[in-house]
Amino acid sequence: MRLALDTATDRVSVALDAGGVVRTAEVRGARRHAAALLPLIGRLLGEGRTTLAALDRVILADGPGSFTGLRVGAAVAKALVAARGVTLWTAPSLLARAAGAASSAAPGAVIVAAADALRGELYAAAYRLWPDRVGVVEPPRVWRPDALRRALVAPAVLVAELPDALWAALDRWAGCVVQGDAAAPHAADLLALAARSGALRRVEDPDIWEPEYGRPAEAQARWEQAHGRALPDPAGRSA
Amino acid sequence: MRVLGIESSCDETSAAVVTVDSGRASVEGLVILSQDVHRIFGGVVPELASRAHVQAISGVTAQALADAGLEMNAIDGVAVTAGPGLVGALLVGLMYGKTLAFALERPLVGVNHLEGHLFAPTLEDRDLAPPFVALLVSGGHTMLLDVPAWGTYRLLGATLDDAAGEAFDKVATLLELGYPGGPAIERLAAGGRPRFRFPRPLLQELERPGPRRYAFSFSGLKTAVLRAVRASTDLAADRADLARSFQDAALDVLVEKTAHAVERLGYTTALLGGGVACNRALAARLRERLAGAARVSVASPRLNTDNAAMIAAAGAWHLGRGERSGWDLEPRDDLPIPGLLPLTSGTAA
Repeated sequence: MRLALDTATDRVSVALDAGGVVRTAEVRGARRHAAALLPLIGRLLGEGRTTLAALDRVILADGPGSFTGLRVGAAVAKALVAARGVTLWTAPSLLARAAGAASSAAPGAVIVAAADALRGELYAAAYRLWPDRVGVVEPPRVWRPDALRRALVAPAVLVAELPDALWAALDRWAGCVVQGDAAAPHAADLLALAARSGALRRVEDPDIWEPEYGRPAEAQARWEQAHGRALPDPAGRSA
Repeated sequence: MRVLGIESSCDETSAAVVTVDSGRASVEGLVILSQDVHRIFGGVVPELASRAHVQAISGVTAQALADAGLEMNAIDGVAVTAGPGLVGALLVGLMYGKTLAFALERPLVGVNHLEGHLFAPTLEDRDLAPPFVALLVSGGHTMLLDVPAWGTYRLLGATLDDAAGEAFDKVATLLELGYPGGPAIERLAAGGRPRFRFPRPLLQELERPGPRRYAFSFSGLKTAVLRAVRASTDLAADRADLARSFQDAALDVLVEKTAHAVERLGYTTALLGGGVACNRALAARLRERLAGAARVSVASPRLNTDNAAMIAAAGAWHLGRGERSGWDLEPRDDLPIPGLLPLTSGTAA
């Protein structure tokens, strides 16, 4: 049994594959992740008349995206791994978004997936998707809209949920555009990605794994800019 | 009953296993990881704290279980800190602990961090039982509580501005001692003389029944230290005396108000909890002040800092009463202590 989670946006999306039957559940709304996620999983388990004892694998969208949302998904996934001894697999949140729009593009066409990164910037990545594999054209990173438009504009499909100001900055996008609910990432897309080689990564050491935040913490960025070097051991600690 | 506790309300990632047998709680495994990165910034950076919790939470929990010699399945229940604290930091431990309980099909209880501090001394002081007066002093809180019974807490007074620990940190910054400031000030004060005259804020209110009788205020004291630092022509020479004078002023207020409440209520026990309770001068002065009248219960420093054993101990008490949290439990930065009767002019008078 496989459980997929996407908490990287203002949606909480869960998909459960029990014996080939896929059930999905979703709640939308920022700051609802903490309260909603476990009840959604419980609901799908109940509908499938199964329990977590049957779980083999957790698949998680690991960012970039909402810092808080990513941490909710990460904490839940780590605990499931610890409690049930299952394996953890991840895929970029933007790849899940691109996979959801794959039917809008020809096999192997470039799909650019983007999400709001705040401060007038966006997270974006570009992929080529075939039925049996995924190719990475540009890995996820932060882009200025004008730089993204220059680098990836045509003939790519753009799949994105963005505020109006960022859409305005991308208004000369020449390719096909998928937006609104059709551009939303869904956990079921993570399940489907498993059929494409190169899409999922197995997390070898879930104890120390952390999400791909896409940006350093603001305080860290300011410190590094001021000092011209990396912050020494941001996760530094003592027992 | 074996309870797994998880604590991540600020900059410590902690997990613990506490066993309760015949009403006695004991620690079987306790791991506390302190995030050193915040020293660079002179205070806790919430986003960095949250990220570090994510990295640490699994390993810390596994180590606490290993130290206890237990498999995950041996746990009877899970207690997680639900607040108050930094929401982003709380979220990590809460979601992790909540999911463990969900996946193991064990009961879950969300615990108030401050109530956890009240339970911390019970892990070492087997004779501790209400009624008592509790002084909770940390970087985020300063409050005096009347505890007639576990689960019933009557607020006698709280700080009107800075928490005591916050004042120690800010004064440590003024004295260029780094962060966190409490231990540095205590060390320096031990070799200093109290030759600077700093105010004892609101101490005179003890003679006036009313809501400010047991209230605290530390911002004026901090400002007085600032003025003294600016007036100093040789800070290196004055530093130890300034630390001693500040610490004396802060502790005088904490000790006098706590002792007054103990005597007025006719109790024979006072409890010190929270990070500032690690200050040995505080406990020593309160013991001296209450000698012959009441004993002072204070946990060892490891259990006075933020830790999961106190959360497990408090959680075990709630679980033993049949209390359960739902799977929709969320963290709250302003979570009130359960059973807290608020301050009114009548209660403090």
